[in-house]
Amino acid sequence: MGGVEGVASYLESIEEGKEVNAFLDLNPRALEEARLAEGKLAGLAIAVKSNISVKGLRAACASFTLENYVAGYDATVVERIRKEGGVVVGMTNMDEFACGSSGETSAFGPTQNPAAPGRIPGGSSSGSAAAVAASLCDAALGSDTGGSIRNPASHCGIVGIKPTYGLVPRYGLIDLAMSLDQIGPMARDVHTAALLLEVIAGPNPKECTTLKVEPPEYSRLLSRKIDGCRIGYAREFEEFTDPRITSVIKKSLDRLERMGAEVVPVTLPNLGKGLSTYYLTVFVEFFSATRKFDGRRYGRKIEEVCGREVLRRILLGRYISQKEYSGKYYKKALQFRSLIKRELLGALEGVDVIAGPTVPKLPHRLGESMDPMAMYGYDVLTVPTNLAGIPAGVIKAGEVDGIPVGLQVQGEPLGEQKILNVLYALEDGGC
Amino acid sequence: METIIGFEIHEQLATRTKLYCDSPTNYRDVPPNTNVCEVCTGMPGAKPHPVNQEAIDAVVEIALMLGCEIVKGPIYIQRKHYDYPDLPSGYQRTSLPIGRNGNLNGINIWEVHLEEDPGKYDPTSGKVDYNRSGVPLVEIVTAPDLRSPEEARNFLRELIKILHYTGKARAEGGTMRTDTNISLEGGARVEIKNINSVKGAYKALKFEIARQKSLRKRGAAVRRETRAFLEAQMITKTMRLKEEAEDYRYIPDPDIPPLLITPEKIAEIKAAMPETPGMKERRFVAQYGVKPEDAKVLASELELANAFEEVAKEVDPQFAATWVRDELKRVLVYNDKSFAESGIGTGQVVDLLRMIQAGEITPKTGKKILEILVAKPQPVERIVEEMGLGKIKADDIIEKACEEAVAENPQAVADYLGGKGEALNYVVGQVMRKTRGRADAKTVLEMLKKKVQG
Repeated sequence: MGGVEGVASYLESIEEGKEVNAFLDLNPRALEEARLAEGKLAGLAIAVKSNISVKGLRAACASFTLENYVAGYDATVVERIRKEGGVVVGMTNMDEFACGSSGETSAFGPTQNPAAPGRIPGGSSSGSAAAVAASLCDAALGSDTGGSIRNPASHCGIVGIKPTYGLVPRYGLIDLAMSLDQIGPMARDVHTAALLLEVIAGPNPKECTTLKVEPPEYSRLLSRKIDGCRIGYAREFEEFTDPRITSVIKKSLDRLERMGAEVVPVTLPNLGKGLSTYYLTVFVEFFSATRKFDGRRYGRKIEEVCGREVLRRILLGRYISQKEYSGKYYKKALQFRSLIKRELLGALEGVDVIAGPTVPKLPHRLGESMDPMAMYGYDVLTVPTNLAGIPAGVIKAGEVDGIPVGLQVQGEPLGEQKILNVLYALEDGGC
Repeated sequence: METIIGFEIHEQLATRTKLYCDSPTNYRDVPPNTNVCEVCTGMPGAKPHPVNQEAIDAVVEIALMLGCEIVKGPIYIQRKHYDYPDLPSGYQRTSLPIGRNGNLNGINIWEVHLEEDPGKYDPTSGKVDYNRSGVPLVEIVTAPDLRSPEEARNFLRELIKILHYTGKARAEGGTMRTDTNISLEGGARVEIKNINSVKGAYKALKFEIARQKSLRKRGAAVRRETRAFLEAQMITKTMRLKEEAEDYRYIPDPDIPPLLITPEKIAEIKAAMPETPGMKERRFVAQYGVKPEDAKVLASELELANAFEEVAKEVDPQFAATWVRDELKRVLVYNDKSFAESGIGTGQVVDLLRMIQAGEITPKTGKKILEILVAKPQPVERIVEEMGLGKIKADDIIEKACEEAVAENPQAVADYLGGKGEALNYVVGQVMRKTRGRADAKTVLEMLKKKVQG
């Protein structure tokens, strides 16, 4: 479909699909913008996570802190989407300030999982994943700090890409942890995800951390030919993963082998150490990032109105960044981070990509209580990617009891094309 | 009892744009909150642009001028967290040292680094102006090497001179902010904040020494604390005790990769760098043969030093040095002006010195003209005419010419005295030649008559 009718029909679906609770704000000018749209994404309906600035729309980060905050400027990725004719249909629900892996920490209620009713959609890009899965848009933008694109993509059975750190501008993305955050595309098919990625990727001269690399046209270069492709698989994945998930993942690997790829064992002995490294980093950087929400400019002081998970992270960040602990925690985390990076890059040297599960457990039922450590455990397989700054993509590998399970494919820095091609091959449904 | 004083000096850098965005820095000239963007107001999602290269180069140059070594490895920009209305993000970005181990006139410089200025908060109205937010600052930290308020004052003056020499710091008044640490031998260290001028620093130190001495006299201990200087009252007042000291929870800013200053860059800056005042002094002595004490005064102000060099091209350098140092500087000091502020052109100084050297005006007249020039710069010729100084000039010169002519023509004079009246006309002719015809022949004749008749 696409174009004005496409956008109009999505707007209708969004209205009808309100119970999914995927959107927090809608763009009243979407139809008008669709009429004028020209370019690679002309008329494509794009949903945007509520932590990415879209001028005139609320970037609430699903928090009472920013409940009434309307962004005054477009994030660089949004500028690029608009330039190519993409139409922002609305702002999606998420875990509050991207703190969560279930979509439940939103101040405005949890998002439903359209692919597994009654279950969490995953998070933190819960609304974006659900909107894509429920066909409320063509594609969505998520952000991924420790798995926030890949985790809900896996639970909702869609495609999600976490790009190489620095490939996509972060300008306009409200921070969780600046050294890990990346914006990325979420879509129902690999081609759309590749197309959206090539539009948003590329250096931003007004930012210090984008790479000076012009991205290729991923969508045009997509290829299902993966014979000879070496795919690494680490036994360590299985230590953390539900065996039913492992079995779905292995079937995908078998399919890839039948298509001509070679599955090669790799070792990641420090895989489990990623979590603590990750969370120490997130606490400290998130504490720093939230100092601006002091109640002077955006109405509410974050500590006074935020949910428990956000408050926990701020307080832990405040605690471990104290002068007397700085050497003990944050700097140690930075050291461990280099270790994990070395390990992953080392493992990638002998292979083209590393493939494995995305989330070690199936999504729990909405409302089921969970202690924080168990919740953090959801991220054990996705955080190393961010710590290493490398790219990864997720595609539905199969189902366990009707619940989608996503295969995660990680690659070397700027290895997005290889990852996309592996996902593309699997998408074909052959073999 | 020895007094131990150290400084942390902040000076705004004269860059066109702010440190992490394109907003202009001329915040004094525009209405509040107009030189702002999402970066310098810390809007959610905004990220710092790459660090302003002009600002980095300026800090490197200032550090080099202060004799610092430039840090070779990566230099991290840190976030210093504190909660205050003027800080839009709740933290200030401040670099680790860029220069280290410098020295200025025997005072050790511990480090020089780059910072951003916060906005301006007015507690009375509760309003914040973010125009200043993000303007680059250089911070210079000295060792506690100063021993008296007088020494401290001289040091600050010298430092300002250097900053001014580079042209990289903002010259407008009130932009120099210093914190000072002061202790009396064996006593606790007190930090004084909110000092905005050299005079303020001097007064604050004077007050603080008296306060600490009187505490001791009464047998009370000086507390380790931070005090604020209240400029209007010229006193210091407790801000917070040591136990209340803030923890800034420094972290390297994840949005900004560390700076790396390459040896090539340092060489490039060194090559284009102005001489330090000290280097200039030594060169003046060597190149122009001026006296060391004259050279020091000449080099005290960049514009004055430049003017001297211009003048020295046209007139004898030693003569120029004496005049610029003794007379011009005296009048400038008397009028509380720098040479740059006076608006005097080097051409005017050259004209004046030439006239003095040629004897067209007397040194005394020259001094008078200098005073007029400093009050109101204008062509020297015009002053001479308008002020009737030309009359003095004429009389002086004619008289001198007459004396010379009489001395040179004894025969003609003898003939005249012997009764040959027309013999004196020859001498008049000689005077006219000497004065290039500008003297009045009748006046000359009268003068000559008086002279020979004694």
